[in-house]
Amino acid sequence: MEFTLLWAALLAFGAVWVMLWLERRLGLDPEDRSFDTLLGAAASGLVAGRIAAMLLTGTNPVTHPADIILIRGGVDTGFASIGALLFLVWATRRSLPAALDLISPAILAGLAGWHGGCVFRGTCLGTRSELPWAVAQPGSDLTRHPTELYAALLFLLAAVGVLLLLRRMRGGVPTGLVLAAAGLIRLITEPIRPSLGSGPIWWYTSAIVVGIALAGSAFLRRAPDGGYETYRNSRRRPAEE
Amino acid sequence: MTRRMLTGLSLVLVLAACGTAAPADVPELPLIDDVILTELLSTGDPLVLNVWASWCIPCRSEAPLLSAAHETFGDEVSFIGIDIEDTQNAARAFIAEYGLEFDNYFDRSGAVRSALGGVGVPITYFFSASGELIYRHNGVIDERTLSLQIDEILNR
Repeated sequence: MEFTLLWAALLAFGAVWVMLWLERRLGLDPEDRSFDTLLGAAASGLVAGRIAAMLLTGTNPVTHPADIILIRGGVDTGFASIGALLFLVWATRRSLPAALDLISPAILAGLAGWHGGCVFRGTCLGTRSELPWAVAQPGSDLTRHPTELYAALLFLLAAVGVLLLLRRMRGGVPTGLVLAAAGLIRLITEPIRPSLGSGPIWWYTSAIVVGIALAGSAFLRRAPDGGYETYRNSRRRPAEE
Repeated sequence: MTRRMLTGLSLVLVLAACGTAAPADVPELPLIDDVILTELLSTGDPLVLNVWASWCIPCRSEAPLLSAAHETFGDEVSFIGIDIEDTQNAARAFIAEYGLEFDNYFDRSGAVRSALGGVGVPITYFFSASGELIYRHNGVIDERTLSLQIDEILNR
């Protein structure tokens, strides 16, 4: 039922909150507005992705507006990403690059929580496997990859890695790395995830390419001295200083 | 301002006209009873049986997914829809709107659902080739669950 999605969403936002709390503890986020920004981005992404999924599968959102809330009916990953990004552009305006760097570990943590929420949704299992840790669903002897738990673990490791390196990285690099990591994790788990097609492989591949290009160009760019924090401060609006 | 409102209204009207097909080409749904149900369960093919109704909002949400699953797995798995507590005209309009190509039956009283177990709509039942009920999903189904359970009934 839809309530299981709610639990998964709560786990995702719990993970985001913990990651942002850690950033504050490490002195990386003095503004304390990131959670609201991410909440808005997630809501915008869900709505945009859901409407796109409805249109792509032939359901008219104008004649059936109530269907928009039925998230389980499908959310288009690509349009959800665009919707979330547009919200971030609007919410952060001129400080978008710094804001994206700041929230990038929390985005990965949120994805880890969402995928880990498969425990509540009963959707952890993937394709069949004979590996020792493969598990079967109740009443079945067909053992399977716990695909969503793999994804959750990989997202969590990536989130912690970016968090630990955030202060040392030049501005723009964390955002690029997170984009590439998110695409890569989805790409490598997609073949062991049950689906009706091959999934939005080209979206994931594009995310990897764009992410690497973004991180690479940011790394090679002549950055202000002091890396992340100096970069971030240089992007602040005068009113914030 | 007026121009913006007119543009917006035009867009809404165009969108509202999209995706609505005429149900005239959809024949009346055959009535289902215990005998037909038993026959459907004993064909020797794995079976996905979806209980739906045209007035059920979550059913609209999962209809495109079931249609896509039928397109992908239709050669290996039988798909059957059972419209319950509905009217023939509304059911035919629903089938036309979503282009459902698998067989659908009409069950005005919801007797099939009572026989198979479960409450509410939608419900999706997954039967193995031997006719054994492998999994029952209450509520709107998602792509992962649908694909996973189809794989289960294909291999058990």
